[in-house]
Amino acid sequence: MILVDLDALASCLVSPACLVTQTTSGLIIGMLLFLVAVGLTLIFGVLKVVNFSHGAFYMFGAYFAMTAYQLTGSFALAMLSGAVGTAILGLIFERVFMSRVYGRDVLMQLLVCYAFVLIFDDVVRMVWGPEFKSMGMPAAFQVPPLFIAGGVVPPYYLLLIGVALAAAVVLGLGLARSRIGKVIRAAAHNPGMVSALGINTGLIYGGVFALGGMLAGLAGALAAPVRSLTPGMGFSVLIESFIVTVIGGMGSILGALIGALLIGLIRSFGSLGFPLFTEGLMYLFMVIVLVSRPTGLFGKEVA
Amino acid sequence: MLKIRDLSKSFGGVKATDNVSLDFADGSLTAVIGPNGAGKSTFFNLITGALRPDAGQILLNGVDMAGKTPPEIVRHGIGRAFQVASIFPSLTVEETMLAAVCADQRRAGVMHRRFPLAETRDRAEHAMELLGLANKRNRTAATLSHGDQKLLDIALALVLEPKVLLLDEPTAGMGTEERWRMIDKVRELWEKQKITVVFIEHDMDIVFKIAPEIVVLCYGRILATGTPEAIRRNEAVIEAYLGSDDHAGAVA
Amino acid sequence: MTELQAGQGAQPLEVPRIDARPQRYRDVLIALAAFALLALLPFIFGSKQLLDFVIRCAAYGLFATSLNLLVGYTGLISFGHGMFFGLGAYGFGLMMQKTGVAIPVAFVATLAMTFVVAVVIGAICVRLKEIYFAFVTLAFQMLIHSTILSWQSLTGGDQGLRGGIPRPPFLGIDLSNHLHLYITSCALLVIGLFLMRQIAQSPFGYTLRMIRDNATRASFIGIDVWRAKLTIFVLAALFAATGGMIMALFVSGAYPEFAYWTISGEGIFINMLGGVTTFLGPMVGTMLFLILNDTVTRLTEYHGIVLGIVILFFAIGLRKGLMDFAVEWFAQRRGEGRG
Repeated sequence: MILVDLDALASCLVSPACLVTQTTSGLIIGMLLFLVAVGLTLIFGVLKVVNFSHGAFYMFGAYFAMTAYQLTGSFALAMLSGAVGTAILGLIFERVFMSRVYGRDVLMQLLVCYAFVLIFDDVVRMVWGPEFKSMGMPAAFQVPPLFIAGGVVPPYYLLLIGVALAAAVVLGLGLARSRIGKVIRAAAHNPGMVSALGINTGLIYGGVFALGGMLAGLAGALAAPVRSLTPGMGFSVLIESFIVTVIGGMGSILGALIGALLIGLIRSFGSLGFPLFTEGLMYLFMVIVLVSRPTGLFGKEVA
Repeated sequence: MLKIRDLSKSFGGVKATDNVSLDFADGSLTAVIGPNGAGKSTFFNLITGALRPDAGQILLNGVDMAGKTPPEIVRHGIGRAFQVASIFPSLTVEETMLAAVCADQRRAGVMHRRFPLAETRDRAEHAMELLGLANKRNRTAATLSHGDQKLLDIALALVLEPKVLLLDEPTAGMGTEERWRMIDKVRELWEKQKITVVFIEHDMDIVFKIAPEIVVLCYGRILATGTPEAIRRNEAVIEAYLGSDDHAGAVA
Repeated sequence: MTELQAGQGAQPLEVPRIDARPQRYRDVLIALAAFALLALLPFIFGSKQLLDFVIRCAAYGLFATSLNLLVGYTGLISFGHGMFFGLGAYGFGLMMQKTGVAIPVAFVATLAMTFVVAVVIGAICVRLKEIYFAFVTLAFQMLIHSTILSWQSLTGGDQGLRGGIPRPPFLGIDLSNHLHLYITSCALLVIGLFLMRQIAQSPFGYTLRMIRDNATRASFIGIDVWRAKLTIFVLAALFAATGGMIMALFVSGAYPEFAYWTISGEGIFINMLGGVTTFLGPMVGTMLFLILNDTVTRLTEYHGIVLGIVILFFAIGLRKGLMDFAVEWFAQRRGEGRG
């Protein structure tokens, strides 16, 4: 068994075709991770809670999209139901359960989230069954792949990257420019001040949770045509998004984007050079960042 | 002897401690005063290692403390109490004292014996007596009154038998009467223990009455040092810090 | 501050003092009695099921109690403590399968390996703030789990270590004999609990409590907080690995689930169930959890939902563990009796 295959990595790095293929696959991993991680980081920034059950929203997004696609045959509706369905779920989850544990110790917050990881996985098992499912590639994308510099790029990958990028831009601009964005950033800074201004913090909190859920759900929906669906699929995504936020810095959107892309590229190129140690590379990178910059690449010093 | 030489620290361009040099003689009692934001707490945080100085030396009997960690500095003999009583809420008064002596005797890592160690008793007992906490020994720290929590915080510093004791506003959050009792206690401790005591205090009446030495800080710099008499007459102090009418009364 | 004056020169010796020695004798007696009781159990009830339950309690109990040294005593919320349980099971199983050394040698070697891994992971993690600590430990757990899955040639991948773990007799103890295995597990449990109790009640145990309550203050009385945290992280890992070894012996194998994050989640849940403020809380939690888990698994295939609801009941409803509840109740009754 080969543990390290540097030849394969080196020969890929000098071949344009291989470079294109691996970079695209790194980008789609990265963009999906970004959508999940940015919700995680946003929720942490505003609510000071790490949503341990965030992976479940990714999972629900994928299942919602699959069901909607099977019922309507419309890809657009599938994406929409993935995103909107999880937004509603996020809102309910925050208002009914998470809002009860704010300010309590971290142990309680983790336990409530842990309970929901168990519950959500079983709900999926109940409704959709325990076996692997697949949504299948929508007809519109069943076209011959593009060849860029000799590298194979399925058109759907380009759509996925485009949608995720668009979401990132809208989110970034929205937070920076819009009134709601300003309120959210103020809430992240000083929750007391926001309520003093007469703005309902409960609404903000629920809204941020819904937004985070929606982004994760959109990621799940986008991933549904190219990944197999299974209960528990959200958990490894959660761990990787957490690693992304640790690398990028908790609370930083730009950090989440850079961290996600780095992890995506590490995964796609690492799988060539270190087939058995791809995950290990990711963790190694996280450890290096943690040791040298404990607050992450773009994180601010926490007072 | 505690000698501070050219101590500086800035936060993003703001100089919280600006080239401070001071001597604290053995067995002296010094009050540090200054308006809000004068850098008093930063000064204490630098000496005790909570903050790392940008430049300068903190010489305790010739050994430089600058750049050392809080545990190292404590072991060299600089103890401190905090503005907001910093205690161990779930431990009783007695447990707190015994555990602190344990740490001071470098036995904080002992696993083969049971807590408390017999050899820590006397010192713990002594500290509790000194601060009048002996009859509350079985109360958990969280259930103590505000004043007693402040005393416990001081006891925690004192039980380590420091050479220098830094008290960050021992009277913070107390009513007038309680303040005087606390400050009498501080003076009594200083007289009994014969250690160097430096304390931060807002109340001018207290400072002028009790402290033989006064240091006035303003914007991170030393504005004046000297006896209460000298400080009272110091023009710069009157202008910069005590200039306003309501304080003038206290000076006069 | 009238209390301040009252203390001076008043009658300080009236109040009872803490005494260390009787506690230790009491703990030795309790440990011996517990072991005697457990050892007699097979001669009173012949049920293999009951003995199996006790062995599982020993494995999980050591794991959960060691986690409480971190969570309850030090305030370190590890969500990856289960990695050491898995490491113990795999380390021991592999050592026995590949090298054929005597069981005690494999036991010590596995502890040594766990020690090294725990020092490395602990050195990285214990500096982190609480939520970071929880997730980075969880991340390491996932790393170990995925390594076990992908290193098929060594670990058997998702099939686990198959073919059974050889259990050659040593010192007259034959662990392939169910009774011998039972007694050995009980001995390990009682010794493990006694050692952990000793740690919790030692000066070091009080150092941990101080760090949990107020780490900043602890460093200002001269405690090296990082070193103390790392020490307990490694010690707890050793006890968790012992639990894992009991599990490996019990099932005669090791499976990836032993190293999966859910083990850590279960450990946290067990602590919540029993309560973290008493030493034996996690033991009580372990028994309740295993009974609950067995019952639910028998009744429905969706036991995640049931367990989830139970967790929510404790976390949002009761807000404390059962032993915490019991202790408070007794304290209250005693208070009333006096008044």
